[in-house]
Amino acid sequence: MLDRASTFDNDEMIALLNAHFVPVAIDQAYERRQQDNEGELWRAIAGQGPRHDFRRTTQGFYVVTPGGELLLYNNNRDPQKVRRLVRKALAKFRASAAAGETVEAMDRGKIDARYAPEPPTGGLVVRAHGRVLAGYPEPKDEWERIKQSALSRDNLWLTGEEHAALVRGELADSFMRRLARFHLVDGTRGEPPMWRDEEIRALDVKLRDGRITGRVELATKTGDRRYDAALFGFVETDGKRVTRFDLISHGAFRGEGRYTRGAPPGDFPLAVRFTLADGSDTADTIPPQGSRGWLPGYLR
Amino acid sequence: MPDVRAFAPFFFPLALASAQTEPALDEARFNELFERLAPDTDAPWRRITWRIDLLDARNEAADLKKPLFVWAMDGHPLGCT
Repeated sequence: MLDRASTFDNDEMIALLNAHFVPVAIDQAYERRQQDNEGELWRAIAGQGPRHDFRRTTQGFYVVTPGGELLLYNNNRDPQKVRRLVRKALAKFRASAAAGETVEAMDRGKIDARYAPEPPTGGLVVRAHGRVLAGYPEPKDEWERIKQSALSRDNLWLTGEEHAALVRGELADSFMRRLARFHLVDGTRGEPPMWRDEEIRALDVKLRDGRITGRVELATKTGDRRYDAALFGFVETDGKRVTRFDLISHGAFRGEGRYTRGAPPGDFPLAVRFTLADGSDTADTIPPQGSRGWLPGYLR
Repeated sequence: MPDVRAFAPFFFPLALASAQTEPALDEARFNELFERLAPDTDAPWRRITWRIDLLDARNEAADLKKPLFVWAMDGHPLGCT
């Protein structure tokens, strides 16, 4: 979220990337592990930079020629510096033989299915956005302000059976438990910890006449992280498919994770919004964070 | 065995306290929060024409004779990160 609100919140950078590059955004936790041609492509790129231990993160910004030569690696968050470096990398590309080189297309080959999850047939994709509504102290700097006002984004997948149940006016237990475990989380400051099955202390949700009401209580054994929330929403169908799924969870959250440090102290209000994805957002095709390398576990 | 009904006066206040602290979420509040948590579809970063498939992007770059700009994060940059 820091880059979205800083490095890429700039007209010059936007124009530069759109006109002179092919910009691509990836969760490199997939690519560095994939045992297929795409994974080898990523490791060949990242291996030229400082993050070449593929057991660890390879995150950063990379400028690469189509032939695979690394022109720039950077993991800086200073927008002016990043723009300057990207302009420099572009100039280097234009001055190089790579600029006029004909490079053959790379074949995808056999895909590593563990890292190429697809939404279940007949299922649904639901967008999930979360926000901390209050409780932060005054931000010390712009980075803190960005984190404190961030809106998280993930996708929730339903199976075909769960979708059919919704059309019949039923909330499948598996669907609600997945929603609770993987999506009633505070992902506003980074990758969030999710909930174990046994950390669902209470889940009482009803669908009646197209209206969802209920409550959920999630808590770790020690209570250092918990979420006690009400649920309210709407389901509409055309008899065959769900045409509307809008849901809000709202309640008191406590705690943080290894990658989401800086939560407000004590209990703070967290809300999560769910609505059907319609494919109009590039991010609609991104697999759920909780499914990474483990789709059967996510969907069970 | 003690008669548990003797403890009922203690259970009811606890249940009432729990109900009173449960966050209220009705249709009006739902509408307010649904609007408040809607993403900004006009945010500048959305004007960048991000691809999300590295191999396809590489082949497109080869076609166009342009360099790739890769934004690689833990968690997807367009989502959970």
